[in-house]
Amino acid sequence: MKSLDQIIAECEEIAFDLKFSRARKWKDEQDNRVIVGYLPTYVPREIIHAANGISVGIMGTGDRKQIIKGDAYYQSYICHLPRGVIEMALDNNLDAFDGFLFPAICDCIRNLSGMFKLSKKGKFQRYFDYPQNFSSSIGGKFYIQELEKVLEDIFNVNGVRVTAKALNHSIGLYNKNRHLIETIYTIRQSTPWRLSAVETYYILRAGQCMPVEDHNDILEQVVAHIQKERGEPMDNIRVVVSGSFCEQPPIGLIKSIELAGCYILDDDFMLGSRFIQGNITDDSEDPLHALSEAYLHQSTFSSAFYDVGNPKGKRLVELVRKRASDGIIFCAASFCDPALLDRPELQKEADAAGIPHINFQFHENTGQFKIIKEQAGTFSDSIKLWA
Amino acid sequence: MKNSFYTMGIDVGSNFIKLVLVDYSDHPTILDKQTEKIRKRNPTQVADEMIQTMLVKNQLKYEDIAYLASTGEGDLVKRKRGHFYGMTTHAKGANYFFPNAVTAVDMGALYVRAVKISKEARVEDYKMTGQCASGSGQFVENISRYLGLSIEEVGDVSLQADTPEISSGICAVLAETDVINMVSRGITTPNIIKGIHLSIANRIIKLLSSLKAESPIVITGGMSLNKGMIQAIEEQLAATGKKYLITTHPDAIYAGALGAALWGGFRHIKLKEKQAVLA
Repeated sequence: MKSLDQIIAECEEIAFDLKFSRARKWKDEQDNRVIVGYLPTYVPREIIHAANGISVGIMGTGDRKQIIKGDAYYQSYICHLPRGVIEMALDNNLDAFDGFLFPAICDCIRNLSGMFKLSKKGKFQRYFDYPQNFSSSIGGKFYIQELEKVLEDIFNVNGVRVTAKALNHSIGLYNKNRHLIETIYTIRQSTPWRLSAVETYYILRAGQCMPVEDHNDILEQVVAHIQKERGEPMDNIRVVVSGSFCEQPPIGLIKSIELAGCYILDDDFMLGSRFIQGNITDDSEDPLHALSEAYLHQSTFSSAFYDVGNPKGKRLVELVRKRASDGIIFCAASFCDPALLDRPELQKEADAAGIPHINFQFHENTGQFKIIKEQAGTFSDSIKLWA
Repeated sequence: MKNSFYTMGIDVGSNFIKLVLVDYSDHPTILDKQTEKIRKRNPTQVADEMIQTMLVKNQLKYEDIAYLASTGEGDLVKRKRGHFYGMTTHAKGANYFFPNAVTAVDMGALYVRAVKISKEARVEDYKMTGQCASGSGQFVENISRYLGLSIEEVGDVSLQADTPEISSGICAVLAETDVINMVSRGITTPNIIKGIHLSIANRIIKLLSSLKAESPIVITGGMSLNKGMIQAIEEQLAATGKKYLITTHPDAIYAGALGAALWGGFRHIKLKEKQAVLA
C-alpha cells in the first residue's frame, strides 16, 4: 500500500493535468474505448462506463492556463469556467475526447455546447437535460430517453451496445465509489485533521479523470490510512461550504479557509461524484430505470438543479445539522447565476435556523486570498469566542 | 477560578515573531515574553526554537501548555492548538493593558489597522490602510536603513527634529523619491525621519476619523515602541484639533501574542466545559 502522502501527490497531478494523460493512456490500451468529457455538475457516469468509455470531468483550467481566445467567446460578465474550457478545446487539449456532455445547469454551459458543435470538437456534443417533473411516469420517462440518447451517441462512435448486465456492473462500481467517498466524509466529520479539505479535494477530483476501478482502489487505501491517527487536532470551527458546484474555487481559497481556522466538513466542490445519495439498485432488469429513479428520489440538492418540491434551504440546514457544523460559508463563483440567485433564499433559511454564515465570491484563477482569509478568520473567531 | 494554567501566544509578523507565556487565571499575568527578528531565516523554525527556548527557560514541557495560540501568519507555527485573527488578538491585548480602551490601533510592518472594541474586547468595527506600504513599519525600517540608522534609533532621532519635511503619504515609491531628494537637498536625518512619521500620523488620524473612533486609543504592534511615531501622532492631533487620547504600553508590541494567549485561555475553559457537558 502506498503512503497517504504519495497517494495525495499522485491525485493532485492527475486532477490538474490539462492533457488528461491518465484517461488518454486508458483509451489507447484498447481499440473501442472512448473518452466522454462532461462539464460540471452531474452526469450518470455509469452509462459511459458500461459503454466501454471513461467519463472525464472537465472542471476548468483554474490558473494553469492563460485565457486569450476564451475571452473573445464570452462577455466580461460571464463566469470564468467556460472561457477556460473553450481555450482548452481550441488549444487541442481535448482532442482525444470522443464526445462531450453539457449538463443543463445554466445558459453559459448551454452556449458552450453550441460553441463545441460549431467548432466540431469531438464526435458528439450533447446538451444533457434533466427532468423537472419528479414523477417516474413523466420526468422519469423523459430522463430515460436522455440516457438512451447518450448511449446512442457512444454506440455511433465505438459500436458498443450496452447490456443490462454491463450496466448493473457499472452501477455497482459507482455505488462502491460513492460509498467510499461518503466514508471519507464521515471519518472527516469526527476527525477532520486526518485529511485536509484540500487533500480530500485532490482525491475526489482525480477520480473524475481516471477509471472508476482505479479510483476505488485509491479510495480504499485512503480510508484505511485515515482510520489511523494523522495530524494534530486544532481548535477550529466546523463549516459547510456551499455554492462552488460548477466553477471550482482555486486551491489557495480552500487552503485559506482552512488556515483561517475552519474545518470544511462538507462542500459541493466535486458534487458530481456525490450527487446520488446511497446505492442505486444494481441487479435490476431495467438498469436505466434504476438510474432514473435514483435521480428522481436519491439526488442531493444544488442550485444548478430544479427541485421545487424539496426546498434547498431546508436541505442545506439539514446537511449542516447532520455534519454538526457551526456555520456555512457561501462561496460562489463570480457571475454564477444559479448560486447567486439561490443565495438569499439559502441565507434566509440559515438565519431562521440560527446558523451563522458568511459569503464571498471567487474566480477559478483568483490569486489573492487576503480578504477571504480575513473574512473566514473573523468568522471563525466570532463563533469560537462569542457564539 | 480555582486553578490557573499556562497558555502561550505567538504572533508571527512579517519581520518579527513575538511570543508570550501567560499564567491564566481570573487575573492572568505575563510570565515571560520574547521578540525575535526573522531576518532571512525560516519563520517556522524560528517560531519553534523560540517556543522550545521559552519552555526550557521556564522549566515547562509542551504538554504543560494548556493552549498554544497563534496569530498573524499562524499557519507557520507547528503544534498550535488554535489560531485567532490579528484584529481579535490586538483588541484583547489592548484591553488587557488598558481595560477602558475603546479603540486599538495596530501598527505593524505592512499596514495599520484601527479597531473599535467593546468592554469585553470584542471587535465592533475596523478600518485599515490599503495595500500601499507607505503607512507601515516596513517602510520606516527601509528608510532608516537607507539613512544608516537602526530601527531602534529611529524614535530618538525623530525627537531631535526642528523643521521636519513631510514626505508623500500616498505611495512608498514616491515617498522614497522624496527622501532621496531631501538627502540631496541637505535636509538633516532627524527632519527626514520626523517628516515620515508625520506623514504616517496623518494617515492614522484619517483612519481614526473614518472609523469614528473614540478615546482612549491604544497603539499596539511594532511601531508602538517608536517614541518619535507616538509624538508625531500627538502633534498631528493637536494640529488638526482632534481630541483623541492616545496611549501605549511598553509591552504593546506583544499585544497580538498576548491577546492570542488570553483568548487561548478563554477557549481552553470553554472547551473543557463543553467536554464536561458531553460526558
